[in-house]
Amino acid sequence: MTAPVDRLPPRSRPSRFAIGSVIGIVVLTYLAGRAVDFDLSGLVTDLTRPNSVIDGLLDPDWTQIWSRRSRSAFIETLQLAVLGTTFGAIIALPLALYATDYGAPNRIVRSGLRLLNSVIRSLPDLLWALLFVSAVGIGALSGLLALFFFSIAVISKLTTDTLDAIDRDPIEAGVAVGATNTEMLRTAVLPQILPSYVSFVLYGFEINLRASAVIGLVGAGGIGERIQFFQGRGEWEKLWGLVILFFLVVLVVEQISAFFRRRLV
Amino acid sequence: MTATTRPPHQRMPEPPRELWRPISWAVLLVLVAWSLWGLDARWERLLDAPADLWNLGELLFGDMAFDRTGDLLGDMWESIAIAWLGTIMAAVVAVPLSFLAAENLASRATTLFVRQILNILRAVPEVILAIAFIPLLGLTPMAGVMAITIGSIGTLGKLFAEVTESISANPIEAVDAVGGSRIQRFRWGVLPQVLPEIASFILYRFEINVRASAVLGVIGAGGIGGTIAQTLQFKQFEVAGLGLIIVVVATIIVDIVSGAIRRRILRGPNRAQVTD
Amino acid sequence: MIRFSDVSVVYDGGVRALSNLDLEIEDGEFVVVVGLSGAGKSTLIRAINGLVPLTSGSLQIDGREVTDLDRTGLRELRSEIGMVFQGFNLVDRTSVLNNVLMGRLHSVPTWRTVLGRYPADDVAVAAAALERVGILDKARVRASHLSGGQRQRVGIARALAQEPKLILADEPVASLDPPTSHVVMRYLKTISAELGITTVVNLHFLDLATAYADRIVGLRAGELVFDGPGSECDAGVFESIYGRSLTADDTMDNQAAL
Repeated sequence: MTAPVDRLPPRSRPSRFAIGSVIGIVVLTYLAGRAVDFDLSGLVTDLTRPNSVIDGLLDPDWTQIWSRRSRSAFIETLQLAVLGTTFGAIIALPLALYATDYGAPNRIVRSGLRLLNSVIRSLPDLLWALLFVSAVGIGALSGLLALFFFSIAVISKLTTDTLDAIDRDPIEAGVAVGATNTEMLRTAVLPQILPSYVSFVLYGFEINLRASAVIGLVGAGGIGERIQFFQGRGEWEKLWGLVILFFLVVLVVEQISAFFRRRLV
Repeated sequence: MTATTRPPHQRMPEPPRELWRPISWAVLLVLVAWSLWGLDARWERLLDAPADLWNLGELLFGDMAFDRTGDLLGDMWESIAIAWLGTIMAAVVAVPLSFLAAENLASRATTLFVRQILNILRAVPEVILAIAFIPLLGLTPMAGVMAITIGSIGTLGKLFAEVTESISANPIEAVDAVGGSRIQRFRWGVLPQVLPEIASFILYRFEINVRASAVLGVIGAGGIGGTIAQTLQFKQFEVAGLGLIIVVVATIIVDIVSGAIRRRILRGPNRAQVTD
Repeated sequence: MIRFSDVSVVYDGGVRALSNLDLEIEDGEFVVVVGLSGAGKSTLIRAINGLVPLTSGSLQIDGREVTDLDRTGLRELRSEIGMVFQGFNLVDRTSVLNNVLMGRLHSVPTWRTVLGRYPADDVAVAAAALERVGILDKARVRASHLSGGQRQRVGIARALAQEPKLILADEPVASLDPPTSHVVMRYLKTISAELGITTVVNLHFLDLATAYADRIVGLRAGELVFDGPGSECDAGVFESIYGRSLTADDTMDNQAAL
């Protein structure tokens, strides 16, 4: 009789997937490092060298809140976020509803809407801003349009995921009652997702606040223009003052929003 | 009334008075009205906007500069590389940081402190971080990498901490029960439960960062964003249009591949395996 | 009013759910369909309101050929047919009243539905339906807060609110305990008798079927093997429907006693 230890089943090897992943990660990281001329020691040197950027960060100029131009840029940023989110949310809901397998009147519409959603979602906020500035010109209108499309992307993605996971039984009831597609969506689907949807809109607003802060960098309105202004003049303490103040506001808004979002879902 | 129904004899109960509904609507209306009234936008351009967009569309996509495809693909690869390195570096920092932010692994005071730091890091958009890194590192991709890194540490740290907090205590107890050290408790109790989700979040953040890094170039931190911004500025629309398409396609591809890998990670191997 | 003529339904994958079915149901009848799971009961019921398309044959309802109907025609047909589901199929997150109002969708203009402003007359019809099943007081309660029996009554009220000519019930009591099952079946029977609504019900338990049905239709493997009053359902009939002798599993009260 052989000893038990000789009769052990063979050890499992790590799966091919695991091995492939590790190799993939290493190769990708190496290639990426080459692509950006990654230089760790140089990085450390550059970052630890004394400079006005860090100085400004450590001693920000808080008086920006009293500057007229900064204050109006601040407010404009908030207004852009509110309007962009509101209008985006209004469009995002039907867009998501009619892109589901049960809500789309036919397959062509569904595929078309899904494709449209994919494309809209793949563009980051600044690129939207760039596009609209090129098309419509510098100013808050471009920013508004950019945020409008950007929020549609964010909100409709989250909504679509939720819509794919709803209880289908009420939909069958809606069909059995002789309702039209729209009526069915309104009575059988919408009540199931409304709290989540509101939560997504709030989340979209948070995202838009961040986005509206930076689209000014390409001329689409908001504090981005002030940021660029200060950067150009090397006035880092003012830049950081403005940035930190704004993002303190964002943090507060996020806490409030998170509070409501928790109570919704 | 038809034969099917008669008027009800009893009265139907009243609808409940939910005050938060009208209040919420009122708040929303006030905000929107204030914003609409206050926003200094040239609203008359709104009517021209569809036509302007159409014109831009024609300029961008009508006759694209396919000879520049190689260059643009190289730029997109640079953006992807920036996103990848930034995500990996952020993960390397965030993983240990997150264990300090997890309430089932560290003390209350520590977690509160670390979590606040993570919140602050999450708040600032990458573009602004990139603006800060450019004077330090020059108009190079490394500025973008650092921006992405700092920007991601916050989110990843928070997500990892949440995952760590949600694991079951049983394997940890088991290690303690057989007298394992803290490191062993970590290696055998925590890590196996946490690794798939952490990997999944890293990939998810990578998808987001690809979008962010595509845009960092706009301010000069490397990648395809810079090319698009420049060509738009100098009215080389044929190149910009192709660049935009490449961004969209590449982002979608990254999303699909990353999504598939993430599902595979979370689902686990198909065949039951003998574990050692 | 319902006439199946040589109807067959074959699903993708070759499953023959109904084979050459001939069946006529007159106005006002209370018919119960029995048979094993997979015998075709659900298919038969769902064919009537077009939820399941026919593979061959003809199905006429009040002279209208169901297979000829386009989408609008199907909607109209369905608005006259109330359906009660095994899983109740309610919108859990909203009130009982809103669920019942779904029965009025066909007559309320779409814009009113979208805004949620239903005309008073339609609300009155919904209220009357709720009263008829004895839960008017629960009108504003969230559907998820109700018991199974109450939920099914809401389902019946929703069907009633359509002011239908025909009610279809697909295993309406399968998820309910015996006493509640009797309550629900009694409502269905009374409504059918008082309002003259043709009713077709799928049931699993034979004793329940014989207790309430005027007429029992037995299906086996998609074929009609029995059609007659409950009094004719003896052991021999039973074997032809179920392919075996009666066991405790086949009667609700006996199974409950197990």
